[in-house]
Formats: sequence, C-alpha cells, structure tokens
Amino acid sequence: MSWPAGVCAGTHAAGCRDVVYVPDNPLSHVLKIFEAEYRDVRLLLATREEEAFGIAAGLYLGGRRPAVMLQSSGLGNSLNALTSLLIPYRIPALIVVSMRGDDGEWNSAQMPMGRAVRSILDAIGIGHVTAESAETTQAAVERGAQMAFDTRMSCACLLPKRLTAQ
Amino acid sequence: MSAAEAVDGAMTRLEATRVVVAHVGDAAIVASLGHPAYDLFAAGDRPRNFYTWGSMGLASSVGVGIALARPDVPVVVLDGDGSLLMNLGSLATIGLLRPRNFVLVVMDNEQYGTTGGQRTPTSLGADLAAAAAALRVDAAATVVTPEALGAVLDGAIGAGPAVIVAKVTESAPAAKPPLDCEMLKQRFMSALGQTES
Repeated sequence: MSWPAGVCAGTHAAGCRDVVYVPDNPLSHVLKIFEAEYRDVRLLLATREEEAFGIAAGLYLGGRRPAVMLQSSGLGNSLNALTSLLIPYRIPALIVVSMRGDDGEWNSAQMPMGRAVRSILDAIGIGHVTAESAETTQAAVERGAQMAFDTRMSCACLLPKRLTAQ
Repeated sequence: MSAAEAVDGAMTRLEATRVVVAHVGDAAIVASLGHPAYDLFAAGDRPRNFYTWGSMGLASSVGVGIALARPDVPVVVLDGDGSLLMNLGSLATIGLLRPRNFVLVVMDNEQYGTTGGQRTPTSLGADLAAAAAALRVDAAATVVTPEALGAVLDGAIGAGPAVIVAKVTESAPAAKPPLDCEMLKQRFMSALGQTES
C-alpha cells in the first residue's frame, strides 16, 4: 500500500469521517484517494490551520471524530487553537502532519519550524507518532488516532519528507 | 452620520444578547471569549451554551463544526468585531460550506471591549456584513435595534448561513461562566445528546 493510501485507510479505520485540511503538495495525494475511494469521508477546506482546529473542535462537540491535515509549517498557525481550546477542553483530533524542514529539505524558510515540530508538540503535551515507511503508515495513523480519542488529547502522526517524496 | 454616532442610543451588548437568547429557542449557542461569553452567561445560562475561554477568533469556526456535525441543531455564534477580524477567513469558509443551520451574530461595539476599549476598524466604518456578503454569505445584515435583531434572527434560524452584525454599545459584564473547561464541554455535549466517542 502506498503511503497516501495508508493515511486514508488509517484515518477511516479510526472512525474519522471528517477531514479538515489546509492544502499541501504531498497531502494532495491523500485528498485524491479520499475523493475517489472514500465517499463517506467529508473533506473540509479551511483558510488557515488555526481555523481548521476550530472547525475540528466543533465537529467533536457535535459527536464526530475529526482529523486535521496540514503541513508542518502550519503548526505554528495552530498553537493558540491547540493550547487554549483543544487541550484545556480535552477536545481531541487526529492531526496528520506533512513534514517540511526535515531530511531532504531544500527551502531554508522551512527549516526552523520543521526542526522544531517535535519539540513544540512535546512542550504543549501533544503526543506524536511517525510514519516510518509506506508499509507502516496505516498503522501509525491508527495508533495516533487511538491515542487521541482514547485519551481525549490530540495526537499527531508525522509524515516525514523522506516518506512523502516516494 | 459617523459610525460612532450611529451607535449612540442603540442597544447594549447585554440587551442584544438577551434578544438572541429569547429568539433562538433550543439552538446551540457558542460564545467568543471575554465579554460576549460573560454576557451570554448573564443573559441566560443553559446547557446548550458553549463558552470559550481562549482561542480568540475561533468561535465562528467552532460553530461551523457543530453545524456540520449536527445539521438537525440550529447553531448560533456570538462573536465580537475584534474576534471576527482575527479570523476573517472564517467568513469565506461559511460562504463556501454554507451550513443552513448556522447563524453568526457579531456583537459590533467597534472596540476591543474585553481588553480596555481599543478601537477596531469598524469604528471607522469597516463593514463586516459587507465582507460576509462579498464572501458568498447571502444573508448578511447590519442591525441597530433590538427589534430588528429579533426579526432578522427569526428569519435566519434554519435558513442560513446568515451573518448578522449587531451594532451595540459596551456594557460592563456582571457575571462570568464557570472556568471548568472540561465540565463546560461535557455539559454542552450531553445537552446535544452526544457521548464522547
């Protein structure tokens, strides 16, 4: 199974039927598979990552299991939503992060945030798993979702650039 | 007449909030942090109220999410002009997704009332209803009286999405909702018949 198919299968298996996203090049492959093969998954475009987490919080309050998909650069745009809404209210979301600024990056503007992603998530108490290979992507997404919804604390599944470049 | 003069003698935010509570039945109400949330608590605490204590700008986004998750429940958001300006993209998302059960009420006091009254761009005429209309929210209106607010709300519930800009004057809040965020979440979800999954 390709890594994008693994993201879709893992998200679906975890019970997520709403995906709020801000576009990203690697994630476009995920969105195409959702559109073609998962008619019961609703794709919701947000203008900004912080807004995506606000929508996700509302979806959870309404009884859904939300997934938020974004590029790692958008994690910076998300921090106030995470730290002053989702975390204190114990509103969980599965967070799928397409990494920039890690192994293989060419754009210096992507480096500082990319290198800080895991430290920032650790600092605010959000767990993270990493999809190491296409074969293990589905399982990593499912583990992240299970941690998120079982503990009611969002969890991120990181998709390294080395993986999404495949 | 300047925008500031137009506000003189109009309704206070608390009066406007009381109108909202009286006109929206058993709708879910999401309140932006600070004074909008304090006034909602004072105007009528109820389990279907969701008070935010942070995440400035995101009340409308939270409301959109609830509206999408529960199309059977009318959702009303009480936002501020300063808060909406922090997340203006939300208007484009509302115009994109067009949830029929969603109404955004912007309590436009033309200032950052919770932080000491610094003026917002609406004090110089920036028009948030026009912005909503430009971003495909067809039902967008500005109201300056309680009667008009009630009438527009009556027409908007279930026939949204709608954005209603209520020109209000600042009123010192007299109460605050509980600070226990998890309790607020659980109470709200229970009131909607939701269990956490």
